This record gives sequence, structure tokens and C-alpha cells, in this order.
Amino acid sequence: MKLTRKALDLNWEEVKTKIVRFIKDYVEKAGAKGIVIGLSGGVDSSTAAALSAMAVGGNKVLGLILPEKETYNIGDMRHAEMVAKKFEIKKETVNITPVLEALHKTIPVFDPEDKLCNGNLKARTRMLYLYYYANKFNLIVCGSSDKSETMIGYFTKWGDIAADIAPLMDLYKTQVRELARYIGIPNEIVDKPPTPMLWPGQTAEEEIGIKYEILDLILYGLEHFMSNEEIAEQLGLEKELVEKVEKRWKMMEHKRRMPLTTKIQYRTVGFDFRLPYTQL
Amino acid sequence: MKQKVRVALSQISCRRGDKKANIQKIEEYAVKAKQQSAELVIFPELSLTGYILRDDLYKLAEKIPGPSTNAIEEVARKHGIHIVFGMPELSEKTQATIYNTAVLVGPKGIIGKYRKMHLPTHSVFEEKRYFRQGYQAGVFETDLGKIGLIICYDIFFPEVSRLTRLEGSQLIVCISASPTIRRAFFENLTVARAIENTVFLAYVNLVGVEDGLQFWGGSRLIAPNGRVIVSAKYDEEDLVIGEIDYTEIRQIETFVPTLRDLRAEIFDKLREKAENL
Repeated sequence: MKLTRKALDLNWEEVKTKIVRFIKDYVEKAGAKGIVIGLSGGVDSSTAAALSAMAVGGNKVLGLILPEKETYNIGDMRHAEMVAKKFEIKKETVNITPVLEALHKTIPVFDPEDKLCNGNLKARTRMLYLYYYANKFNLIVCGSSDKSETMIGYFTKWGDIAADIAPLMDLYKTQVRELARYIGIPNEIVDKPPTPMLWPGQTAEEEIGIKYEILDLILYGLEHFMSNEEIAEQLGLEKELVEKVEKRWKMMEHKRRMPLTTKIQYRTVGFDFRLPYTQL
Repeated sequence: MKQKVRVALSQISCRRGDKKANIQKIEEYAVKAKQQSAELVIFPELSLTGYILRDDLYKLAEKIPGPSTNAIEEVARKHGIHIVFGMPELSEKTQATIYNTAVLVGPKGIIGKYRKMHLPTHSVFEEKRYFRQGYQAGVFETDLGKIGLIICYDIFFPEVSRLTRLEGSQLIVCISASPTIRRAFFENLTVARAIENTVFLAYVNLVGVEDGLQFWGGSRLIAPNGRVIVSAKYDEEDLVIGEIDYTEIRQIETFVPTLRDLRAEIFDKLREKAENL
């Protein structure tokens, strides 16, 4: 198997059709009235929102724009609004800063210097808003997580990953970019550096320490049971770097699953209760 | 025996776990097929229940004969048509041993059943967790000729189609629940199995989305020379009807005589090597 960018090339029309069919089918079978999605102005949420609009109609998709003062970026806001307008998605903007400040004041051990804890608080607060709207209006929460970030655990547990469906989760970041271009997401959104917006100036690639173009090929190799040596050799990388990615992928499985329990009885959640995901 | 048979490929989506709704849909499609003079109508693998059932299989499986086969027999009798469909079959002798079974029913009742021999348990499939494998080919003498039954993953194993053909079938019916990323395999293998056995092959696949898995449809009726007589749409429900003419087998048997040239001694070697892979 050759690890080149060509390996990640897909038939984007087919991919679009599959995802649109998947979303439409899920919303219909769930008996939901539509979809709510967090719009950050980034490529993942823009793409997931556009595909949602294609699946159920923009008038049944609500994009929640949830800025807060630390990471507020006028460009991202403009991009989120641009996508909502282009795909005729309803939008609502809520400044979550007062909620975050209230949390900061009431958490006895709050540490303003702890970027990670405080960043995760933002992602989890956004989740609260999304699920409030979902409950209130009988909507499905559509997630925007891609395969690269999900595999390496680059997300907030119970935060941005929390959703009812994750239509992009089987596409690596560089593939999401291709799909985004294919369905008409503006280049300025597709080409800007991805950020989870947990703290000011944070960019995903800087934090992970590797460009998505390389990361995706490493992950693709791991997905296809290639050895670390083979991946490193083909990509001209140090074996240690590939090992680091593999280790991170495996260590983060706890973030992708229901909480672990210990088996005590006949059939157990997470072990051997094996039920269909949906009943229709 | 009839020389010409009109075969309907009925690629439906199923309501999972809702046998009543699925039997109703089977009847609707049987009626439509009959209206277009079809004599045999074929439904996908596990069309009685849907495919992704996991632990629900234990409560959905039924003995044959049982309430669901009785209902399908009634449909076949009422509309004067032969039907092939798939269901989880509960063994007569145990309480939770299940087979993935294809059932052939005619206007006079159940003609036969075939228990899937090769159970995929890899990638998204977990059939061996739930099903026991079958051991017999399924070939049945009918008013519509000698019909053989195979199921989905069996088509990757040429021995099953070969055995089915050697037991006399002139039409092999393959019912399937194949997800989209495997389309190319099936499009090639269905044609190959027809050519190498000089036999008609009717492939009927599921459509719809079950737990994120999308089934691609694309059902097809293939002549012994590999010609696609008729094919159904991709990804959506469809009913297509094609006519087979058994006399065509003679022409292809003289042109590419694969059965005449069969080398029986190779099968002993195959067995020996397969046991020591």
C-alpha cells in the first residue's frame, strides 16, 4: 500500500450522497424535527452544517454560534454567518461568556492559568446549549468531529464530541477539506488553520506538532494495519513520531467509548449488551 | 419443466425487528411482481427482519415452519407465485441456535430452505457470534426448474455455487445484505459464478441504512455467459423483472464447457490444502 495523498482521494459525489442519505435517514427514523449544530466558522462545522442542510433542508437546521470573549474572532464569526447564509441555515448567536464567568466564580478550585481545564469548560458549555435546543425543539445534535481528531483524541470528552450523529467521523481532516471544497464551502474557510478555539492563538497543528497532511497518512497507515516501520519509511519520518501517534490513538480509546465498568452480571453495558444502535 | 421463467428481483429496505411490516411489504412487492407476470419473486437476506439485529436475533428467530413462513406461504398461495426470502431460523432441536436461512416457498407451500454456509465475522460483520453455519447445499426441484439457494458471503467461495450447480440447479438465487463499500466485489463475483458454472444467477441485495451501514441494492439477473439481463437501481428500493430461458445454458455449455472440463481429482487436493492452511 502506497501512503500518498492519492490514497486519501475519494469520489466526493458519492461521499456527499452517502452522508446526506445517512443524515436524512437518521433524522426521519428518530422522528426529530430537524438538526441543531454548533457553527464555529471552521471547516468541519461548516461542512457538517451544509450537508445537514442538503439532507433535511436549511430551514430545518439551526446553527448555534457560541462565541466567548477570550477566543472571540471576528473572522470566524463572519465565516459562520457566511455558511449559514449560503446554505440557508437558521442561525442564533449566544455569547457564552457570562456562563463561563459564573462557572469560574463557583468552581472552588478554579485556576485561571489552567488552559486545558478552562478550554474544556468552553467546549462542554457549548454542548449544554446544543442539547438544550435539541431537547426543547426535538432536534438531533449533529457533531462535526473528523476522523483525524477522533482517532488521536484531539477533542473534549463530553464536549465537542458530544452529539447524536457525527457524519464526518469517517473522513480524515484533509478529506473533509476536499469534501468541503466539493460542496462549495468558501476557500477562505477551508484553507485557514484549524483551531478548537479553547484558548487564544491555539492552532491544532501546532499543538499536535504535525501537519494534517502527514498525520492523516500516518493514521491511514495505522487504519490499514501497516507497521510503524513501514509507515515511517514510506513517509520519510522518524519511527518515534509514528509510534507517538499510534500511542496517542490507542491511549485515547476511553474518550471514544461509554464509561468502563466491571463485569458482575449476566449481560453488561459496554461488554455484551449488543443491541442495534437504532430500532428502525 | 418450464423453459422460460420470469424472475422478479425485489430489493427492499426493511423495518428492523418488525416482521409484520416486512411481511406486508413482501406481499406488496409480490403482488406488483405478479402483475408483471413474474413467476418467482426474490427478496434480500434477512428480509423478514432487517440485517443489523444483534441480540434482538434471539427473540426474532423462528422455527420453519412457523408463524412467519405460514404467512409467506399464504402470500405465495394467494397470489400464485414463488417467493425466496431470508430469515433468522431457530433450530428445531435447541432453544437459541439460529441459522441465517433462505426460504423458497411456492403456491403449494414451503419447497425448501438453505442455511448460510459462510458467516462473515470480520469488518462490520458479526454473524458467527449469532448464527450456526449450514452444512448442506440448497437445491430444489420446482415447477420453475431446479433452483439453488446461496446467501451473500457464500459467493466469495466458489465451492458453494459449484456444489449447488453440480446438484443440478440451473438458476442460483443469491440473497444478500451487502454494504456499499463492497459493491465492486459483488458485481464481479456474481458474473464470475454465473460464467464458471454455466448457470443463471439472480442476485438480490438489501437497500436502506441500518445503524450507519448503507446497503447498495444493485440487484441483477445474470445469464450463463455473464450477460446482465436486468439490473436494479443502486441505493433505493426497486423491483425489476427479467426472463430467463434455460435453453440458453446449452449454447454456453458448448461454447465454454466448464462442467465438462471439471477435474474431480483437484477437489481432493483442495480439501487437503484447505485443512492445512
